[in-house]
Amino acid sequence: MQREDAAQLPQFILQAALDIVQDLAWTTSAMILKTIDKFNDLVVSVYVTDDHILNISKPIHFLHFIIHTRFMLLHDSRSDDGIKSFFQEVHELYIKSLLNPLYLPGSRITSSHFDTKVGALARKYL
Amino acid sequence: MEPDVSIETSCMIRIAVLPIGDVPSTLLRDYHSMLLRHCTIPLSTISSFYTEHQKSPFAHQPWETGSLRFKFVLGGAPPSPWEDFQPHRKILGVIGICHCPSSPDLDLVIDQFNAAWRGCSSVLVQRCFAFSPGDSQLEDTKKRENLVLFPPSDRSAQELHLQTMMQDISASLLMEFEKWVLQAESAGTILKTPLDSQATLSSEEVIKAKKRRLARAQKTIGDYCLLAGSPVDANAHYSTALELARLTADYFWYAGALEGSVCALLVIVASEPNSSAICNIWWVGMGFRCVCMLMASLQVDRMGQKDIAIEDEVRYRYNSVIVHYRKSFIQENAQRVSPLTFELEATLKLARFLCRRELAKEVAELLTSAADGAKSLIDASDKLILFVEIARLFGTLGYQRKAAFFSRQVAQLYLQQENRFAAISAMQVLAMTTKAYRVQSRTSISKQSLSDETETGHVDSGKMHHQSVVSLFESQWSTLQMVVLREILLSAVRAGDPLAAWSAAARLLRSYYPLITPAGQNGLARALTNSAERLPSGTRCADPALPFIRLYSFPLHPSQMDIVKRNPAREDWWAGSAPSGPFIYTPFSKGESNDNSKQELIWIVGEPVQVFVELANPCGFDLSVDSIYLSVQSGNFDAFPLSVDLPPNSSQVITLSGIPTSIGPVVIRGCTVHCFGVITEHRFKDVDNLLLGAAQGLVLSDPFRCCGSPRLRSVSVPSISVIPPLPLVVSHVVGGDGAIILYEGEIRDVWINLANAGTVPIEQVHISLSGKNQDSVISIAYENLKSALPLKPGAEVTIPVTLKGWRLFLGESDTAAGKNAFGSMGRTLKDGSSPSLLIHYAGPLGDAQDIETNKSSVPPGRRLIVPLQICVLQGLSFVKARLLSMEIPAHVSESPSSLANMDSKPFGEAVGYSKIDRLVKIDPFRGSWGLRFLELELSNPTDVVFDISVSVQLEKSGNEDNLSVDCAAEYGYPKTRIDRDHFARVLIPLEHFKLPFLDGSIFSKDLLSDGSTAGRNSNFSERNTKAELNASIKNLISRIKVQWQSGRNSSGELNCKDAIQAALQSSVMDVLLPDPLTFGFRLARNGSENAAKLDLPKESDTSIQHIASKNSVIAHDMTPFEVLVRNNTKETIKMNLSVTCRDVAGANSIEGAKATVIWAGVLSGITMEVPPLEETKHGFSLYFLVPGEYTLVAAAVIDDANDVLRARAKSESSDEPIFCRGPPFHVHVNGTA
Repeated sequence: MQREDAAQLPQFILQAALDIVQDLAWTTSAMILKTIDKFNDLVVSVYVTDDHILNISKPIHFLHFIIHTRFMLLHDSRSDDGIKSFFQEVHELYIKSLLNPLYLPGSRITSSHFDTKVGALARKYL
Repeated sequence: MEPDVSIETSCMIRIAVLPIGDVPSTLLRDYHSMLLRHCTIPLSTISSFYTEHQKSPFAHQPWETGSLRFKFVLGGAPPSPWEDFQPHRKILGVIGICHCPSSPDLDLVIDQFNAAWRGCSSVLVQRCFAFSPGDSQLEDTKKRENLVLFPPSDRSAQELHLQTMMQDISASLLMEFEKWVLQAESAGTILKTPLDSQATLSSEEVIKAKKRRLARAQKTIGDYCLLAGSPVDANAHYSTALELARLTADYFWYAGALEGSVCALLVIVASEPNSSAICNIWWVGMGFRCVCMLMASLQVDRMGQKDIAIEDEVRYRYNSVIVHYRKSFIQENAQRVSPLTFELEATLKLARFLCRRELAKEVAELLTSAADGAKSLIDASDKLILFVEIARLFGTLGYQRKAAFFSRQVAQLYLQQENRFAAISAMQVLAMTTKAYRVQSRTSISKQSLSDETETGHVDSGKMHHQSVVSLFESQWSTLQMVVLREILLSAVRAGDPLAAWSAAARLLRSYYPLITPAGQNGLARALTNSAERLPSGTRCADPALPFIRLYSFPLHPSQMDIVKRNPAREDWWAGSAPSGPFIYTPFSKGESNDNSKQELIWIVGEPVQVFVELANPCGFDLSVDSIYLSVQSGNFDAFPLSVDLPPNSSQVITLSGIPTSIGPVVIRGCTVHCFGVITEHRFKDVDNLLLGAAQGLVLSDPFRCCGSPRLRSVSVPSISVIPPLPLVVSHVVGGDGAIILYEGEIRDVWINLANAGTVPIEQVHISLSGKNQDSVISIAYENLKSALPLKPGAEVTIPVTLKGWRLFLGESDTAAGKNAFGSMGRTLKDGSSPSLLIHYAGPLGDAQDIETNKSSVPPGRRLIVPLQICVLQGLSFVKARLLSMEIPAHVSESPSSLANMDSKPFGEAVGYSKIDRLVKIDPFRGSWGLRFLELELSNPTDVVFDISVSVQLEKSGNEDNLSVDCAAEYGYPKTRIDRDHFARVLIPLEHFKLPFLDGSIFSKDLLSDGSTAGRNSNFSERNTKAELNASIKNLISRIKVQWQSGRNSSGELNCKDAIQAALQSSVMDVLLPDPLTFGFRLARNGSENAAKLDLPKESDTSIQHIASKNSVIAHDMTPFEVLVRNNTKETIKMNLSVTCRDVAGANSIEGAKATVIWAGVLSGITMEVPPLEETKHGFSLYFLVPGEYTLVAAAVIDDANDVLRARAKSESSDEPIFCRGPPFHVHVNGTA
């Protein structure tokens, strides 16, 4: 139970952080919202794209379903530059997958290629 | 930590409410709620209970505006080690609640009460309220301390009484506070907190403590002032305390005093919003900064701004409070005690104070930092309280997900405590999070749906879009949802709530089965079963588990039960309302409702109906549905349950049936399912939404598709209405409903039995035909049916229907033959070539007045389609028809051969003949010249024997004898038998069709038909069309009937009209028309012309030979002859007649060298004039020299022939002579040479 919970906790944190993102995204024009939320030692950073769609990621737990272009990163380090670069590259990847005509925007991204690429980016920047 | 803290908590007097004796929990709650109404007691109301024993230390007591505040703690609380630091943590009063009927002994009550409160040292006031005492208890006048009896009365009186008691308590407390403050001011009280080291103090610390003592005393006095409702006094003391504490670096107490001062400020603001006293206070106590701010804000007379100013002040001071609490952290004490809880409480207090949507960001930060502090908390219950408070505040802020997150943390903390009550709490907390995680139970959704709708109404469109996007997004947090549901399941199991466990497991299994391994699915199934075992049977749950159920189709009425709208205004009431158009076999009647999305269905009370639903079990275990039936909301439907077993990963279409019980609409929402021991309702709509989501890729998977079920368009529930009972006719063919096998042309009667299986009599019936080969139904005994009306329920009627096997077409017969070869005759049935009987019937019309007022109230009729399952087999087949001509010479006799009516009369006379005689149809004395036979060649490819009989119907109109029609009209021929696989020929004489006379008008028709003459005789009207000729041919043909019989009960008519027509076409003229002149000979020996004519029938009994001998001619004898010439036209004919006699060799025996016959009289060149339709005779005598056979032939050349004659003779030119020759007549000359 405890171990399993530890595995799910990041997702819960990210989901809960949406409340804050939701308000914050309308108050700023910045794309990267740094450290908007934290729980214990885990910090949530969010990258909001122009069209207010959100995506989520985390170095340890990258969420495969990335929806409506808000990338959320749950991290414990504070390497701002790395996070920024990571977000930008993931955004690029996401746009590529959006261009796939068979991909229904809003649905889960099942591409393993996308997954490996994001994993590589995470290792590179975070 | 304490729950539910706020800044104002500091000014609340804590009172424990204890149940004394046995108090039912509902009553206790009730009494508690009565107390809760008296949380605030204005000072003005307690003055009567208050007596000033000495000068009050509360100099600025606001008697007019101030009030005492209470906090009632049900059940009390354990003493806190921090009581000295914050007196509001002390339990200062105790109220016992006693329910007299359950505790009769008041002394015992008092004892119990005293025992209860004596454990608590801090109690200043104690009262025991005894509710609803009995009479004996009221009469018990013994004075008992602290016991207050509430005499039984109505609620308002009781509340008034309670209020008075509370005022009394308030006054007592106020007096106690005064006493305490006076004491504290005079004597030095040592105030300690757990933060101060417990060990023996070092000298340095003793000095330090002494220094700090004064500040602490001032702070505590301030606290009591606050509790006593005198914030101004409190503020003064706090100011002192702050100064002193700062000097002694007593940060903890400094922070406490600061908290108190904020509370005082708020109380002042709340009680006297605009009084200038506030200014004074601030002049006295506060620093210059805030006073200026306050002044500014007060001068601007606007509440909002003042609020902002106060808010800023509170925020500023509380940040300071938090900082100072943090400063007071002492490293060496950290293991034992920590001021962290105060810091967190202060944070929560500030957050609660600021908790507004506009300040969401700030509050969220505060709460996040508070949550951060949780990991340093030692006590698990502190953590619990912290998370609860954080969750509550986030919830107030509108951050549902955050609230859910912390609620889940709370639940986890509960779950860590391994006991049942904690598990119940965990379950309840988790249940609150389900909305945020969108895994709600159906019961909670139904309550919230309304409020949600109203909420979205306010939101502007952009925001709404945004929210919908987010909610869409959230529906995909399946991992989280599964975790939450699993936790609910776990906590419910631990809490021993089987229903909640069942519900959670059902939700988990139904929504997330694709993400659960088969083993996990099995586990959930077990959990469901285990939970159900602990539930009473028949428990219902709002959340459906498996299987997935969707509507498959609503079958329409089978064709046996079609409902037809009745139009009472028309005789044919069924017209124009046929439900399925001109086709009998429409897709609708097959039971597939492909296009009936918005169709209306009519069900009938008492008649069972069926609905097809599809079940799917996408999980990896065998699912056994104990019972499933339609869930009908309208309550007028009896559904029949069914039990189904679904193997893993399978889907199945089942038929659910039921009976409508009363009139009205039927609303089918879904199915009620008894599965896994619990009854649930599965709505069709939910599954439709799920499938829609699956189609859009939003839902994990389509349960039906993963079970291999084909994709189905969503079927919506049609609007169904139930109408009163109608009659119901069931039909069967007498002798079995199997196919009626007919040979081509066979005519047979079948009996159809109609029975009224309904409960209403049938009053109107109409039978019509539809489908192919309608002409095969020759007659329906409609009268039988009519006479049986009204057909009562249960009654039945049998109607005969005469059928005739239709002709198979060539291809059809080929296939039929081919199929016969394979031995499957029945297959020819399915081509649907059989006709059907459409029986429209209806019950009584109902009240006449009803109909007038409301047309729609006419009960509808019904339609029964009785398909006649006729299988036509190839029978006798017609090969070809030929026209044969034949000549039989006549014998010359004494009897006058009638030349007139020569077609009809001989046969009219022959009617009485025996069967054998009829074989010889030809009068031997008349002969038959140009007789034509129609030869029909028939084959019998079947394996049965056919008997053929030919009958000819004579033209009745022309028959003046007016014999009985039946006999005269039909002329029978002996039967011809055709064995199987044989051919036979049937001869039909066509003699009888000749017209009695040659008429121009008749003949003109033929002229046109004859191609060669048509061109020449163009003066004849072109309008005399071929059609008229054809009509006459048809008339001719229709009189010929070829009937057959096979076996005992198969008989029919061979349809060979076309072939006959084709055969007759070329020579129809010869068949139909008589020659213009007919010739005849007779012996004129005895001169009696007419005598023999009547005798002839009698004579004909004798043989031909006899007649011949009697009428024989003897050689060497002068034999008188007469030649008769009849004019068959309507005009007089002049002619030149000549008679010749030939011998057997054909040589002319009258003229020439070897003439053997001597004659007397004129034999050639006889000029005759025959009037129309008359006969003329010419006598002569012959003397035969040699006996033997002679032939007499009469011939004539017609003078001045008219067009008719010419046409008949087919002459080429107008000046060509028309030559007529009669048939040869035989003369047998006896005697010796």
